[in-house]
Amino acid sequence: MRKKIVLLLGTLIIIFSYLTIVSATKAFRTTSELPVSLSEMEDSVRLVLITQELDTPFWNKVGLGAKKQAREENVELEVWGSYGSDEDDFLKKMEIAIHSKVDGIIVQGLDTEEFKELSKIKAAFYGIPVITVANDVPVEESLRKTYVGSDQFGAGKMVAYQLIKEMGISGEVIILRDEVQAYYQKERLAGIQNVLEKYPEIDIIIRGTEATNEQVISTTQQLMNEAPRATAFIAINANYAGPMIQEIGRRTQVEPFHIYTFDDGVESSSLLEQGKLDGILEQKPEEMGQQSVKWIMEWISGKTVPLKSDGYLTETNMLTSDGDKP
Amino acid sequence: MTTIQRKIWLLVSVMLLIMGIIWMMLTYYNQQTQEQTNTILQRYLRMNEVTIASQKMITDLNNYLLDPTEIHKVQIEKSIKTIEEVQKDVAKLRNEENAFSVSNYIHLIDSLVETANRSILFSEEQELEGSKNEFNEANRISMYISEMTLTILERELKTYNLFYREIIDQSEELKKLGIWILLLVTAVLLLATYWFSLSITKPVHQLTKAANELAQGRFNQKIKVESNDEIAFLAQTFDEMRININDLILEIQQKAQLEHELQQSKLLLKESQLKSLQSQINPHFLFNTLNTLSKKAYLDGAEETSDLLVSVAGLLRYNLKRIDRSVTLYEEVLVLYQYMEIQKARFTDRLHFDAHIDESCLHVNIPSLTIQPIIENAVIHAIEPEENGGTISFRILRDGSWIIMEIEDSGKGIPQENIELLLSGQMDSNEGHSTGIGFQNVVKRLQLFYGVDNLVSIESVEGIGTKVIIKIPETREEVNDETINRG
Repeated sequence: MRKKIVLLLGTLIIIFSYLTIVSATKAFRTTSELPVSLSEMEDSVRLVLITQELDTPFWNKVGLGAKKQAREENVELEVWGSYGSDEDDFLKKMEIAIHSKVDGIIVQGLDTEEFKELSKIKAAFYGIPVITVANDVPVEESLRKTYVGSDQFGAGKMVAYQLIKEMGISGEVIILRDEVQAYYQKERLAGIQNVLEKYPEIDIIIRGTEATNEQVISTTQQLMNEAPRATAFIAINANYAGPMIQEIGRRTQVEPFHIYTFDDGVESSSLLEQGKLDGILEQKPEEMGQQSVKWIMEWISGKTVPLKSDGYLTETNMLTSDGDKP
Repeated sequence: MTTIQRKIWLLVSVMLLIMGIIWMMLTYYNQQTQEQTNTILQRYLRMNEVTIASQKMITDLNNYLLDPTEIHKVQIEKSIKTIEEVQKDVAKLRNEENAFSVSNYIHLIDSLVETANRSILFSEEQELEGSKNEFNEANRISMYISEMTLTILERELKTYNLFYREIIDQSEELKKLGIWILLLVTAVLLLATYWFSLSITKPVHQLTKAANELAQGRFNQKIKVESNDEIAFLAQTFDEMRININDLILEIQQKAQLEHELQQSKLLLKESQLKSLQSQINPHFLFNTLNTLSKKAYLDGAEETSDLLVSVAGLLRYNLKRIDRSVTLYEEVLVLYQYMEIQKARFTDRLHFDAHIDESCLHVNIPSLTIQPIIENAVIHAIEPEENGGTISFRILRDGSWIIMEIEDSGKGIPQENIELLLSGQMDSNEGHSTGIGFQNVVKRLQLFYGVDNLVSIESVEGIGTKVIIKIPETREEVNDETINRG
């Protein structure tokens, strides 16, 4: 009897000890570290990259390049922006950035009055340098420090040359652009026109469209009705290439047409791979991001003042559907 | 010695200590967790404060712009101060994860305050348009602040998400831990209590058993208790009591036996007294008869017989009266002569008796019947067995303050070892003594009478004879007389 009691209690003690230890190790396990708080205002340089087209392949690359460079320069950089070219949201982000007194703003240029006012008046008022990237806005209108990105005029020319090379020196070319043209679109168009004007056999039909898919589709429809003999299409706004090709494909075969656009559209690369696009103008988004951070830091640290107001241009080249480079 | 009290104290204090430690541990841990959660909650509250303060400022600014009185001015200044304080608090919330956002946030507040100030300035300078514009901007910034608060909060939640989950898990685990510890302590306590109670009750049981044994009269079983507390002390005392009782019982038993023996010896004494009374009748009767016979013999003309009878009667009377008394040497010598008369009548020519007596010695006191038994011994051993008879010489002479009595016979002598045995009182032969008193008796009585040893010595040569020498002091201390008389 006595032994039984002692044995029973001993077993219970062993079991409970085990459970207690297991429970204790779980309960007293050190919690994961909280982020280290920075009590003092460490004034590291804060940069913001603002774009209208977050989460597009092109801008992701720009962001990636910018972040890489920021890490190298040991500055903080965040990518802000709006989705699907939401201008209001974009401008709001811009305003927040200005009011937040960041040390530099790298922005996708937007050729609107509101944007110009923000960059020209507000940013200047707070003394914040603004650099445009990929899409430029002329310096006299925006007071931007510099522009980092492709030579859009040259890019337009490059596309035009490619077109002539493939289509020949005669034919009807339909050019689709925005109703309200941004500065970079004007440059591209100017580049294209600059080349094509030399060939009197080539007819150019330029048409603006609203930014919605339906509008693009209906505009394409109209254009094809008006110029049934057109053999080439150029989408100055790369985002319009998708709906445009969709509409063409609905009517007839896509292959016979020479269709060109730029690489800053959402679908550009995939359409090229599918062979629906004959060529896209490839830019260097990563380099753009990298360069923009580099130059804005040069300006902030006072190494290079002033920056070239013409901008620092990055390479462009033509990508065709069969992978050839011109 | 660990007393029972101390045992109880020990048990209770150890338990209290364990409980205390556990309680303190859990409390400490809880406090830590609480502090962590408090810190986090405070972060949120502070951020919320920013929103509230900025909105309040906008309201106050609006009020002031609509009605630029002193009261509203004070109000707006107050709310600007508030928001600046809040801004300082928020600055402390910066950490690795949110440094960028919080910096922006702080600058936004700056912008808000600046814009508000500008608005006030314009208002004071009556530039209503500018003031209006600045107010609108301030309002927008305030909105941005609200939005950013949400963004930062969201980010905080994301950052702390894992941390919160861990806190929740740990508090769950802590609950379990509490239950397990409770059960563990309960089990340990039960075991300790069991052992502890056993350590008290076991000796008590042993003691009870021992008490039972005692009650049933078994006193010789040792009481043993294996413990070291009061019970052990009790058991020890109890054991001592048992030993004492045991001793007492033995003593009583011995006494009872002694009493029994005493009783028996008393009875024997009574019997012997009775016997001696009975035997006393005979000597008196015999004595009277002997006297009558002596007279008759005298009247009948047998004078010799008559004398003999007188001697016998005298000897008998002496024997009867003087056995426990001291007499003078003269009386003793007289009786000796009477005895020798009788023996001469018996042995006629075979017995020669010489006596040389220094009469100046005859006044000393000696125990009665001292010489007669020795003479009788000589007669028995030296005359009776010899056909030709023998000689017995008796001398009393003085040697300084000592009186020496010598009894010499011409018998076979006594072997040396027998002499020693006789003198040391280990051999006695009473056979054939007329007075019933042997050699031993004489030696002992002399010793007692004078209080001195070795008063009697024996010289013997085998085949030639034996000489018994009695040496007594002329004077003796009277004290010893009493003892002899009593005996």
